[in-house]
Amino acid sequence: MSRFLFPRWSNALLPFVLVVGAIAPLYMTLLVAYGFSPKTLDGQYQPEQPVPYSHALHAGKLGLDCRYCHSTVENAAHAAVPPTQTCMNCHTQIHKDSPKLEKVRESYATGMPIEWIKVHKLGDYAYFNHAAHVTRGVSCVECHGRVDQMEVVHRAQPLAMGWCLDCHRNAVDHVRPPEEVFNLSKPTDSWTKDQRLELIKRYDLHPNDNCSTCHR
Amino acid sequence: MFKIPRIIVYVLMIGGCIALIPPLVFARMRATPSPNRPIHIFWDMDFQPKFKAQAPNPLFADGRAMRPPVQGSVARGESYVDTHMFEGVVDGQWATALPTSMKLDQATLERGQQRFNIYCSACHGYSGYGDGAVNQRAMELVSNVNGPVNGTQWVAAKSLHDETTRHQPMGQLFNTITHGIRNMAGYGAQISVTDRWAIAAYVKALQFSQDAGSSGAKVAGAAN
Repeated sequence: MSRFLFPRWSNALLPFVLVVGAIAPLYMTLLVAYGFSPKTLDGQYQPEQPVPYSHALHAGKLGLDCRYCHSTVENAAHAAVPPTQTCMNCHTQIHKDSPKLEKVRESYATGMPIEWIKVHKLGDYAYFNHAAHVTRGVSCVECHGRVDQMEVVHRAQPLAMGWCLDCHRNAVDHVRPPEEVFNLSKPTDSWTKDQRLELIKRYDLHPNDNCSTCHR
Repeated sequence: MFKIPRIIVYVLMIGGCIALIPPLVFARMRATPSPNRPIHIFWDMDFQPKFKAQAPNPLFADGRAMRPPVQGSVARGESYVDTHMFEGVVDGQWATALPTSMKLDQATLERGQQRFNIYCSACHGYSGYGDGAVNQRAMELVSNVNGPVNGTQWVAAKSLHDETTRHQPMGQLFNTITHGIRNMAGYGAQISVTDRWAIAAYVKALQFSQDAGSSGAKVAGAAN
């Protein structure tokens, strides 16, 4: 019985094998870090909603304030999805026979909720408070992006813990005067760093990074 | 030097190319919106057997986890005994001033202006002439050359400065904001009681500002 011997040409492969052997662990590490990152796994989630509501039209073109519909955002942790009544404030008259609004009319008639799909869903262990942020100068745009330009809403930011902490540890880059919070078209760097530092001082902002700030 | 067989070289080259695919797939996932996210690899405690705000609950016929209040329930602090505060009525007449617990000052008017701009300006316009963006859009849809779009019917939003509205007492404005009138829906559910009063006060101020006769000057003096 003859023993297996590597063919002679395999010697020429040796340097190559060494290089691949050195690169492979690095490749796998980077691949997992990049591919399993929330930016990849959660990034740009864009479900199809039961009603093709356009933020670009309502909040962008018509210029409705975010709070017209999300009226709890300044007082509650949860920025409520509006009840069907809010849609019907206008749509009993405007586009009142539109086929796109069929589910809205049905909900209005029966009292059953429209089953909107939650786009910005956090893990059940995280408690984000909208009121605490928007009343102290963190704009909607910091987390939700330019919703006023989105035909169909998608996640603009990963909403992951590391991303939250980036801001909690460096709030000065993400604050603006509270009266400009709902003005999505104005970027945060319209205010100079000194102005933003001044805001941090004036509103006594000290976002902390204790576990219990968000997990309880 | 011995020659490496062709087949081995090809396999290695193809393997190298295949190694490029996962990063490209991930890069594409990052860059394009998709309904197939989020992907949960580690579930941890992402999904807990509890209900957060506005979550669905299949146990109830309407599917809501948050239960709507029973018909006729009264929220704490809203006893409705105070007809001035909650109905805008004093001794059977429309109230002409804010409820006693509120003060007519700069802060109230500024709050009223801010809330007016959020909730009212859509139709009534920022200065109250009925020229808001929603009103303009509705007018376009009604006057479409091929007939009103999707059955749109629209009566132009009321100017707050016309003869019938201008002289309405504050309590009546409060009542209209709360319960709506004609084609306007009520905003009682969307705007808090004190904010509705602040809006009513601001509308009065807005009306006086556009009615710059002797009465305007007088009220401006009285407000100070």
